[in-house]
Amino acid sequence: MVEQKLVEDIVREVIKSMYQESAAAPAAAPAPAPGLSPERDYPLAAKRPELVKTPSGKPLTAITLEKVLNSEIGPDDVRITPQTLRMQAEIAEGVGRTQFAQNLRRAAELTAIPDNRILEIYNALRPYRSTKQELLDIAGEMETKYNARINASFVREAAEVYERRNRLKAE
Amino acid sequence: MQISEDVIREIVTQVLQGMEVPQPAKTTALAGRAMRLVEKGEVRPGSKADEVIIALAPAFGKYQNKTIVNLPHSDVLREIIAGVEEEGLRARVIRVLRTSDVAFAAHDATRLSGSGIAVGIQSRGTTVIHQKDLPPLSNLELFPQSPLLDLEAYRAIGRNAAKYAKGESPTPVPTRNDQMARPKYQAKAAVLHIKETEHVVPGAKPVEIDVQF
Amino acid sequence: MKRQKRFEVLAARPVNQDGFVVEWPEVGLIAMGSPSDPVPSIKIEQGRVVELDGIPRAKMDFIDQFIADYAIDVKKAEKAMAMDNLAIARMLVDVNVPREEIIQVAGGLTPAKIVAVLNTMNVVEMMMALQKMRARKTPSNQCHITNVNDNPVLIAADAAEAAMRGFDEMETTVAVVRYAPFNALSMLVGGQVGRGGVLIQCALEEATELQLGMRGITAYAETISVYGTENVFVDGDDTPWSKGFLASAYASRGLKMRFTSGTGSEVQMGYAEGKSMLYLEVRCIMVTKGAGVQGLQNGSVSCIGVPAAVPSGIRAVLAENLCTTMMDLEVASSNDQTFTHSDIRRTARTLMQMLPGTDFICSGYGGIPNYDNMFAGSNWDVDDYDDWNIIQRDLQVDGGLKPVSEEAVIAVRNKAARALQAVYRELGFPAITDEEVEAATYAHGSKDMPPRNVVEDLKAAQEMMSRGVTGLDVVKALAKNGFEDLANNVLGLLKQRVSGDYLHTAAILDKEFNVISAVNNRNDYRGPGTGYRISPERWEEIKNISQAVKPSDFDI
Repeated sequence: MVEQKLVEDIVREVIKSMYQESAAAPAAAPAPAPGLSPERDYPLAAKRPELVKTPSGKPLTAITLEKVLNSEIGPDDVRITPQTLRMQAEIAEGVGRTQFAQNLRRAAELTAIPDNRILEIYNALRPYRSTKQELLDIAGEMETKYNARINASFVREAAEVYERRNRLKAE
Repeated sequence: MQISEDVIREIVTQVLQGMEVPQPAKTTALAGRAMRLVEKGEVRPGSKADEVIIALAPAFGKYQNKTIVNLPHSDVLREIIAGVEEEGLRARVIRVLRTSDVAFAAHDATRLSGSGIAVGIQSRGTTVIHQKDLPPLSNLELFPQSPLLDLEAYRAIGRNAAKYAKGESPTPVPTRNDQMARPKYQAKAAVLHIKETEHVVPGAKPVEIDVQF
Repeated sequence: MKRQKRFEVLAARPVNQDGFVVEWPEVGLIAMGSPSDPVPSIKIEQGRVVELDGIPRAKMDFIDQFIADYAIDVKKAEKAMAMDNLAIARMLVDVNVPREEIIQVAGGLTPAKIVAVLNTMNVVEMMMALQKMRARKTPSNQCHITNVNDNPVLIAADAAEAAMRGFDEMETTVAVVRYAPFNALSMLVGGQVGRGGVLIQCALEEATELQLGMRGITAYAETISVYGTENVFVDGDDTPWSKGFLASAYASRGLKMRFTSGTGSEVQMGYAEGKSMLYLEVRCIMVTKGAGVQGLQNGSVSCIGVPAAVPSGIRAVLAENLCTTMMDLEVASSNDQTFTHSDIRRTARTLMQMLPGTDFICSGYGGIPNYDNMFAGSNWDVDDYDDWNIIQRDLQVDGGLKPVSEEAVIAVRNKAARALQAVYRELGFPAITDEEVEAATYAHGSKDMPPRNVVEDLKAAQEMMSRGVTGLDVVKALAKNGFEDLANNVLGLLKQRVSGDYLHTAAILDKEFNVISAVNNRNDYRGPGTGYRISPERWEEIKNISQAVKPSDFDI
């Protein structure tokens, strides 16, 4: 049984790879990939530069040495946007990397949170640093203030696990 | 003078290693000076800015009595204390029980230290100088290669800890590096640490120690 | 006893200065197959894992739960778990079974099941599998750049040379923590002199490392450690959730990152729970997968002295690298720490990864003399460069390096030191003298460098952080001092964090700053004639060593 399936899969795989090599724009990705395709669109900077913007809406081509020197480009321009992270998540899903894509989607939410607050939240998630309520408050803050829903549920889940495993700050 | 002494010691060590099965590089176990560690109950936070806490790991001087290179714990502790006192400060000794991790032990101690400075030391000899407001796994100075620490280094560590407590910025104790310490000692270090960790008491509060030489 | 003379000679051999111990399974001092390793099992109810390797959900520790909820594909698990261990092992070795198919099966396995599969394989089989399972088609290499005095000028020069010799990534760390911003700055400037596009990182305490990345001083992170037992994880001051959050935090700033783990760390930290080193490491690998991190540095890494001291330990190290690739993760396969006095033994250990090729064969190779290696010494260092190059040439294997000329090395070392001198002047840091530039250009290691005022440097390094110096300030300082090419390279590195292309699995940059990753450079090995093959141009690079005598050298 296993071997029969194995042969089937190999055949499918070979056909797929032949097709992809010959076709100019392979639209026949097995999973329904509504957005970007790894073969056609990655790397974004080279193949779809028009899609990539800085947080202030400038195109990638605007990041030049000249503009850095006359301060038209500042540190806030060399940051990634949530849109770009979600596009990269689509690319990751296109190559079957579900967990990695999910990480990029969490990251997209975190772009809204300032550097210092990110560091504080990270430290609060370390063992014995927070009470359950403190973690729940962080989750609430993520949800209401930054619209970071995936992260909020991740932190709530941590609060439950820490409680069960005695990793909360002693009150 | 000092260099040539080191060189001679190194050569002697090399020759000895060639003759025998691998043995610890430095000294053979001396009995060391006698030391009594009297446990005096829960540690109270210090209020005096002129103290440095020395935090012993659970087995130090109690279940184990020498470092990975056989330096007697009594001599090691004496040197650290002497280093602190040389700078005109007082050393308070405690034992941390809840962890055998040197960074966490020292970090726990910084919160009890009047100056916010503490030295952490494990039985195998690994040592760290820590400060209150740093993340637990960061440090002011870390001496991870326990086989390379000699008594002189321990005294310098005590001295520097005291200088940090006084608000100075001392030149860090020169870092020593021997890329062959790991091949020779890592498995032994693991065993010593396992034996230290056996004496961890989860959740236990640190204990004040009266050191009598 | 009267000594037998051969035994006397053998006792004096380097290998007999190494530490060896017999297995002690009760405390986990065993590489593979501890009697306490769990028996593989899985139970799934309503799309949720309710039992993992014999542990019911209510009794799972936080690692079990994280793996159960994030790392195992419940849709594939029951079928994959029902497969025979040997059948999976044979798929791994069989060149006719594509990598993608194994990734599907492996996604449904529990830690104990993966260990059971790996236990059936010998090292040659594992190497066959690793050649196929590595994520990026093109193998690569990483180096360490550190020195015992944290001398910043030397770090810049060493980074430049290492980049020119072919390393695609380089890592620094510190002797004294407070030097960290300076070490990172030296790497940023020096690395880009050797070749544009080299990625650099600074290994530090987690939060500090992130901060340097956010400032644009480093380009990626690696020392994000995970551990295989809950107690050790907590002693490492983290949980799978804090590490998972940290992973997303890096990505949210457009920074590439990987986790680090390795066999032996749990024994080393005193809490192995009697499990084999490999079993605990597989848990680390699966935590990494579950956290959604693109890759992992493993292969025992700094704990290598522990597995290397027990039987089958180096085989376990290869097995953990292989497992990482089975999880579809980038693998930076260690070979980066001294574990033996024996040149024979250290070479044998490295061939396990060098011959099949990994995403980073060493993580890293010492781009400095070992006495300067603040990761406590690497398995390879600068004195081994020619050995490495000639092994590549002997076996026609791509180990990521290339022979270079003395003139070219002198030139890039000097330029890197001068560039850093200019940046220091521009940013108001303690001056770098011409004498230091000269010394760094020709140095073998820190013993050849004049001392610096450490206290002044440390003050300036702290000020660099408090003043909020960023990568763009470095770009400006370089451009203002006639180093426009370097300024453009550093800016090119900063631009990567806008597009995020290099966040993907096993990404590196070529010298034109094009991203090469396991998305656009997927490993398609299927036996002879497929997968990565050394190109004619690359072969020219590898084979042309200056030591080789040419026919024209003979005057007859």
